[in-house]
Amino acid sequence: MTTRINPHRLVQASPADLKHPSNNIKRIVLSTAQIAVEAHPAKWLRTPSKPKSRVLVIAHSDRGALDDHALQTIAAAAILADAETAVLALILGELNDDLSSAAADEVMILPALDFQIFQPDIELASVLAIIELLKPKHIFLPDNLIGDGDLGRRLAALKKLSVATHVLEIDVQHVASAQSGGCVLAQSNLPEVILLAPNAVDAELPFTAKATRIDAPTINHAASPYQAHYQDMGLQTSAAEDIALEDADFIVSAGNGVQNLATLASLASSLNAAVGASRVVVDDGKFPRDKQIGATGKTVTASTYMAIGISGAVQHLQGIKDCRHVIAINKDASAPIVKRANLSVIGDAEAVMQALMIEIEKAKEVVA
Amino acid sequence: MKDSVKHIAVLVSAGRHPVSGEPRHCHNDSLALALGLNLASKVQVLHAGTPSNPALQDYFALGATQIDVVPNSDDIIESLAAQLTDANLILTGTRAESGEDSGLLPYLLAAKLNVPIVADALEIKANREQLEVLQFLPKGRRRRVLVSLPAVVAVHPSAAEALHFVHARKNLGNINTLHASNTKMQTIIDDSKQADSKQWRAKPARKPIKLIAQTAQTGHERLMAAISNKAKGGTVVNEGNNVEKAQVILRYLREHQLIEF
Repeated sequence: MTTRINPHRLVQASPADLKHPSNNIKRIVLSTAQIAVEAHPAKWLRTPSKPKSRVLVIAHSDRGALDDHALQTIAAAAILADAETAVLALILGELNDDLSSAAADEVMILPALDFQIFQPDIELASVLAIIELLKPKHIFLPDNLIGDGDLGRRLAALKKLSVATHVLEIDVQHVASAQSGGCVLAQSNLPEVILLAPNAVDAELPFTAKATRIDAPTINHAASPYQAHYQDMGLQTSAAEDIALEDADFIVSAGNGVQNLATLASLASSLNAAVGASRVVVDDGKFPRDKQIGATGKTVTASTYMAIGISGAVQHLQGIKDCRHVIAINKDASAPIVKRANLSVIGDAEAVMQALMIEIEKAKEVVA
Repeated sequence: MKDSVKHIAVLVSAGRHPVSGEPRHCHNDSLALALGLNLASKVQVLHAGTPSNPALQDYFALGATQIDVVPNSDDIIESLAAQLTDANLILTGTRAESGEDSGLLPYLLAAKLNVPIVADALEIKANREQLEVLQFLPKGRRRRVLVSLPAVVAVHPSAAEALHFVHARKNLGNINTLHASNTKMQTIIDDSKQADSKQWRAKPARKPIKLIAQTAQTGHERLMAAISNKAKGGTVVNEGNNVEKAQVILRYLREHQLIEF
């Protein structure tokens, strides 16, 4: 039987809303306190207590963290897994993050297999040993260029597994990827190895997982005979000014709030960062057009984006939507960039930049 | 050090113009051809498909003198591998512009021939029994890798190699069709698993549907989610002097390992 709600009840904000200023209700809602509390339910735990099978997600970490692409891949595995299937995330390289919000039920870390070192056959041998041990139903990898796309293809080619690459669309029944130069979206049944393209999955999940760390089995690397074919001569990082803005990993970007561009340039060089600019500054002629970041300029994918004196118009935020860490230095605490930034420092851009350069010099001296 | 690698084979595929759809050379494979011609004055150019494909003429314009065409068969890898048993270096693009373009071919070929493979090559240098490959990594990083020969090298599309397209050469080349007797035809597919993977159902291109987790929400919850502000944004530092603010930024950069000092 449905309970009737008194239409003459008093209008009130719920106690939960009063307690948390972050639950900033825009309108007055006719509701009882209890319903308002339920409006923000805690995420439920997905991890099966007695998993009957497993799916494996393999991803390389970069400096102890997973990128969005890898998190999307774990999310895809978790969404597709049924109630009796556990998601095992095998991380190659170090990992400092907790993967419970990424919905990995179990996490296995092989810190020696960092992406910076080219050792495809050791990686392959380790992965094969783990596959042999756990017998996963499907293997998910992000189709990227830091080694996961390479590893997945090597694995599928060596073991003659069914595979789909550049997967743009995935659900419980099928995968789809672009073929014939993009004029065909071909579909196939869910194969054993799935290499996901970026942004094919929404990493926002309504559930969490336990993310239990499990120890990796001891793997005899010496048993891999192929590694002798490869020899890593080391990584080269080019100077920041030689890298195209789309390719840069660290960008210091100037907005209208920057008075002295020389300070910004020397800050960028001390951080070995590329320099970008917002539309206003480019329109003023202070930077060439190819430095513009935003909807009409370039879309950047840097892991660190330092926005100095940029208010953050929608068009600009569009250009930095794939940046992992956004640090804003701005005079105005109510600017839209503050909502986007992971860290916002409110203050005068010039003064903070000067102070930051001194701090960087000190830090470099300590290391040297 | 030209001609230090004995037998270089370049695998080329038919491309298509991204706008008009006209057949043309595949840009990525052309880069592989250009890198091959840097290493040796003569390379074997191999194509699996139909000999009459107009796209093949473009490779003559790009410097090939003869193209060996392996006719389509059930197992392309098998027939290509049969031609490449004595090749020291096999060059190809990372991804084709026609067919399945999954980027798997170099890997399948390497597994078949049991030779090492290096993908995403930007530059290659030969020194005797080894090949020095400059490998592409995102974010402006590059890696130098030494690989022993024979090997398969897949060339990255951003390899900085100038293509010399000479129209006059377009009709000068020779297309040599390899007959079924030359190629080991494998008509019976014994591996049922492999056959299953090839069952792609081609559909016209459309916008892919993004996978989003189902949230079992009541109507009231959805309404509440729509009208309440989600906690957005990260840490906001308002307090302290400039030095303290700078230290906060430095601490953040260090915490996330974004700087090395």
